[in-house]
Amino acid sequence: MIWLSWRQFRTQALVGVGALAVLAAYLLHLGLRIRDSRAGYLARCQPQGDCAQAMAQFVGEYQNTLLILAGLLGLVPGILGMFWGAPLVARELEAGTHRLVWNQSVSRRRWLATRLLFVALAAAAVAGLASLLLTWAASPVDTAADDRFSTVVFGARNITPIGYALFAVTLGTVLGLVVRRTLPAMALTVLAFTVVQFGMPNLIRPHLMPPATVTRPMTADAINQVRGLGSITGAAVVRGVTVPDAWVTYTSELRTSDGRALDAGRFDDCLMSPPKTGATGTFGDTARCLGDLDLHVDLAYQPEHRYWPFQWLESAIYLGLSVLLGGFGLWRIRRRVT
Amino acid sequence: MLHAEHLTKRYGRRPALTDCTLTIPAGRVIGLVGPNGAGKSTLLQLACGLITPTSGTLEVLGSRPASTAAHLARVGFVAQDTPVYASFTVADHLRMGARLNPSWDQALAERRIAQVGLQPAQRAGRLSGGQRAQLALTVAAAKRPELLILDEPAAALDPLARDGFMRNLREFVAELGASAVLSSHLLDDVERVCDHLVVLSGSRVQVAGDVPDLLAGHHRLLVPRDQLDRLPAGVEVIHVEHADRDSRVLVRAEGGLPPTPWPTEPVRLEEMVLGYLTRAADPTAARAAVPAGEVRR
Repeated sequence: MIWLSWRQFRTQALVGVGALAVLAAYLLHLGLRIRDSRAGYLARCQPQGDCAQAMAQFVGEYQNTLLILAGLLGLVPGILGMFWGAPLVARELEAGTHRLVWNQSVSRRRWLATRLLFVALAAAAVAGLASLLLTWAASPVDTAADDRFSTVVFGARNITPIGYALFAVTLGTVLGLVVRRTLPAMALTVLAFTVVQFGMPNLIRPHLMPPATVTRPMTADAINQVRGLGSITGAAVVRGVTVPDAWVTYTSELRTSDGRALDAGRFDDCLMSPPKTGATGTFGDTARCLGDLDLHVDLAYQPEHRYWPFQWLESAIYLGLSVLLGGFGLWRIRRRVT
Repeated sequence: MLHAEHLTKRYGRRPALTDCTLTIPAGRVIGLVGPNGAGKSTLLQLACGLITPTSGTLEVLGSRPASTAAHLARVGFVAQDTPVYASFTVADHLRMGARLNPSWDQALAERRIAQVGLQPAQRAGRLSGGQRAQLALTVAAAKRPELLILDEPAAALDPLARDGFMRNLREFVAELGASAVLSSHLLDDVERVCDHLVVLSGSRVQVAGDVPDLLAGHHRLLVPRDQLDRLPAGVEVIHVEHADRDSRVLVRAEGGLPPTPWPTEPVRLEEMVLGYLTRAADPTAARAAVPAGEVRR
């Protein structure tokens, strides 16, 4: 069965190894360049004794490239699910070759279990290697930027991509088994996987562990440090309030001292026509105006020391989903197919 | 060897096989004949466990089809249109067979590949229909099954290749020492190689039995048209064909034909099968034949 799994997977495996080799060469090159660059920045700033600004520049230089790479790595499991998972059973059913192979002296369940395990492990290896290389290449930037808990970066480092790849391939295989046609199965795999990948960081990951909470007074100074004010809905909100060494998962609207949401009209007044005081800072008079209202926001956050528990938890969830899906596939192939 | 009881398979609401009760003895070449859509493929796919029945039971070689890997090893199956892996070479197919079947007979497989003129390095995707059928049959046979099931194995072949394939098949099955079930919509094929016959039409079994018994149990009577209603009790009218003065009546008489005043003729297998198929296609025809003959005059 292992020979057959390999023989049928050979071409796809070669394509995968080829693509991985190209990616690996690039990541090695990038990782070395990032290290050179960091050494250069440090060499220039250390004589002056303050490297904060130099490190910010260093992060700025590579942040976009690394975000794109993280996005790319985020696509890898989906692609593997689509091209390795979905055709695994669907192509056999389409070509009719299941009638050949299911009448060899191997039960259907063993056939599916072996083939699925073979391809899923290969996908896990590809995703794991890609993640390992990217984690290594990006580590100086990640350390300096202190944002490895953020949504995109978290899913493209360390072990989570392995869980994603296992899940995507199992999902593709089972969808192929149910849909019985290769192309629709491929399309459905990408669609379903995207939905899951969108829902996980936004809906589930923030609640994997009960978040810590903190109340942050919104003084004029504090407001000048946020990324933005207001939203397209006109609500009285601030964006980009940070907690040191933590992933902020929830930011409440601006609240007055009695705990109620700031009236949108008063917020607009401060935004549009604040009293002229000549205040400086990012938001100037607006920050001063809001600061005078004695406002605060309530934050929920996951502290940095939970990073590894979160990596393991999320990987375990994907592994569990894969096992459930695989179990369903094994049940289904015995009972319902053809 | 194969025992079905009230076996029924429906696809949605469409019946593919209805209330089929059938016992097929071991050690024969069994022919399954019937028009396209009669339920032949359904019965064979049920027999090899590729599909499961809607209701009723089926036992093949003493247990439910494809119930275990060991049972799978005892049944060889060549599906309709003889599927093979297009990207595999002929040798890859043999290797697959060797890896997946504990009782694989590599010598037999290689000998047969050479015999039918296949090159081990040929890609299966480039083989002709006949070559593909031979490859599929080789893979099914080299696992040394006790029962070989062939679903229209010669359907894709031209008449010449078909002739060779069927001739070869008979010898090959004998050499294997296996039983074989073979379906075809061409009676010719079946007549040549089979010694037990199952006629299937309209999702039902019409008649089944050893070929000599079937031939001995069926007769053609030349009955004057006005005496059609005086057929002896205990004979079943299968088909009536009206000529000028006499009607040719195909009857089944289990346990011998009672004496009749009319001339009788033996029946050829083809005529017998056609009689059943005609009756199945229009179930009212045979039963109504006698009075209808009077009315039409």
